[in-house]
Amino acid sequence: MIQTELIRKQRIILVILFVLLLATVIISAGVGYSTLSFDRLIPTLLGNGTFKEEFVLFSVRLPRIIITILAGMALALSGAILQGITRNDLADPGIIGINSGAGVAISLFFLYFPIQPGSFVYLLPFVAFIGALLTAFFIYIMAYNRKVGLQPVRLVLVGVGFSMALSGLMIVLISSAERQKVDFIAKWIAGNIWGADWPFILALLPWLIVLIPFTFYKANKLNLLGLSEPVAVGVGVSIEKERIVLLLAAVALAASAVSVTGGIAFIGLMAPHIAKSLVGPRHQLFLPVAILIGGWLLLFADTIGRNVVEPNGIPAGVMVSLLGAPYFMYLLLKK
Amino acid sequence: MVRLYTDDLSIGYGERLIVNELSVQIPDQKITTIIGPNGCGKSTLLKAITRIISHQSGSVILDGQNVAKENTKQLAKKMAILPQTPESASGLTVGELVSYGRFPYQTGFGRLTKKDYEVVEWALEVTGTKDFKYHPVAALSGGQRQRVWIAMALAQETEIIFLDEPTTYLDMAHQLEVLELLQKLNREEKRTIVMVLHDLNQAARFADYIVALKAGQIVKAGNCEEVITQEVLQDVFNINAEIGTDPRTNKPMCITYNLLRGE
Repeated sequence: MIQTELIRKQRIILVILFVLLLATVIISAGVGYSTLSFDRLIPTLLGNGTFKEEFVLFSVRLPRIIITILAGMALALSGAILQGITRNDLADPGIIGINSGAGVAISLFFLYFPIQPGSFVYLLPFVAFIGALLTAFFIYIMAYNRKVGLQPVRLVLVGVGFSMALSGLMIVLISSAERQKVDFIAKWIAGNIWGADWPFILALLPWLIVLIPFTFYKANKLNLLGLSEPVAVGVGVSIEKERIVLLLAAVALAASAVSVTGGIAFIGLMAPHIAKSLVGPRHQLFLPVAILIGGWLLLFADTIGRNVVEPNGIPAGVMVSLLGAPYFMYLLLKK
Repeated sequence: MVRLYTDDLSIGYGERLIVNELSVQIPDQKITTIIGPNGCGKSTLLKAITRIISHQSGSVILDGQNVAKENTKQLAKKMAILPQTPESASGLTVGELVSYGRFPYQTGFGRLTKKDYEVVEWALEVTGTKDFKYHPVAALSGGQRQRVWIAMALAQETEIIFLDEPTTYLDMAHQLEVLELLQKLNREEKRTIVMVLHDLNQAARFADYIVALKAGQIVKAGNCEEVITQEVLQDVFNINAEIGTDPRTNKPMCITYNLLRGE
């Protein structure tokens, strides 16, 4: 029961976004601190570049581009799920404290466990997931009322509180740590994409391969949860069960993304919101759009951030916040 | 045989009971209307029967099964509920919203089948909303929107339909339009209809069975001649009513009334 025009519009938007993403990938691959000119991109890709060109493309820029896109996609999807189950457009894994929960867990792990470079990478998403899960659990039980069930607005408010408290906790953790480790955590908080290497892509990819189809599988339930509780119950959605399962998926997506990119907020807020205003609130239609926007936004932010201040650049998380904070204000004012 | 009844149903929050040990039988294939003053628990009762809120004690029995223990999706194939003034379905089109009523029949990724499309078309047809199929729900008038929500409940293809004040916010003509639609569904398709209504005369005109509630308990339940009487209305609403007969339908109607004071 969807207009064919709307489906066509969605297809066109998807194609445009894909082209936009590809263009940004090319620009991102071609600009940076080390020189790798645009006309050398294709020869280098085909294996005809110099050693330096190949190193810059395959070991520095390409992994970073891919990890950025994947993380942006995961964060957008996580935000879309959270907005669906809380019926609140302001929900975002960064704003409601899930990212901070992952951050605290990563900081603790980083500070107090001996690092073995090999397995460390693959453990990170799990560590982040555990931290994020514990946070989500506490937010959930504090927003849960035995009589009326989960209170969506309360969930966001409690989450903001948790987000602040956990960020504070990270500062406390830093103040007692060694100089070198402090640097890492400080960069993590700022959302500096530090895990820009192939193993990190392998650590992040499985989560997306499982959770993107899973979310599409749940699209109809998300549609109904987004309407109103009595309506959802009336057509036979077991709302508490679905909410918990979907919350777990959102937590896993956000945690796996921020475990390699650092604390990045607002992508999960902006991407679904822009997508909904383009193709309407049906999850089947707007989720693919939101995922592409999320990937593009983070890549765009990182590409600019990487190049405005040489040589270290501005962390992607800071760039995204520069874009996202005004958007958040705009949404708040509109309400 | 009665398919649906409550047995000593108590609903409330903490110590405060809103509905107290209420037992009522819903006649099959009839229109049942629940009336009563504000805060008497009529909406609460409707929500508890349709498992939107949980109850403290007692039970709701449908086809010999306890509703609270049954699979919620299976239940959604037997009864549909139109809650009181549902929040607007921001951004959805009429067709999309009505298709959500097919949820109980969907599996997997929830693609609509040919049968789903047919039922949605039919629901749009009988509710007279087919012309708006591609319009956003938010752009409709109150009466049109209410008919769309009814279409969504119809798309569930249930034998029992509950409606919580389906005529609120509608003008007189649209109120009648909605009620006549429900009557048609009852007469032609043998759907059991249970609704909460505020207007006594509408209740009398359209209901086969009326349940009058006061403070969470049944004052009187029966056909309209038994319930729309001076005594019952005095007890339920604390009014002194003049009961006459509707010259067109021969149903009892409240012609005028005064408040009863100091008693």
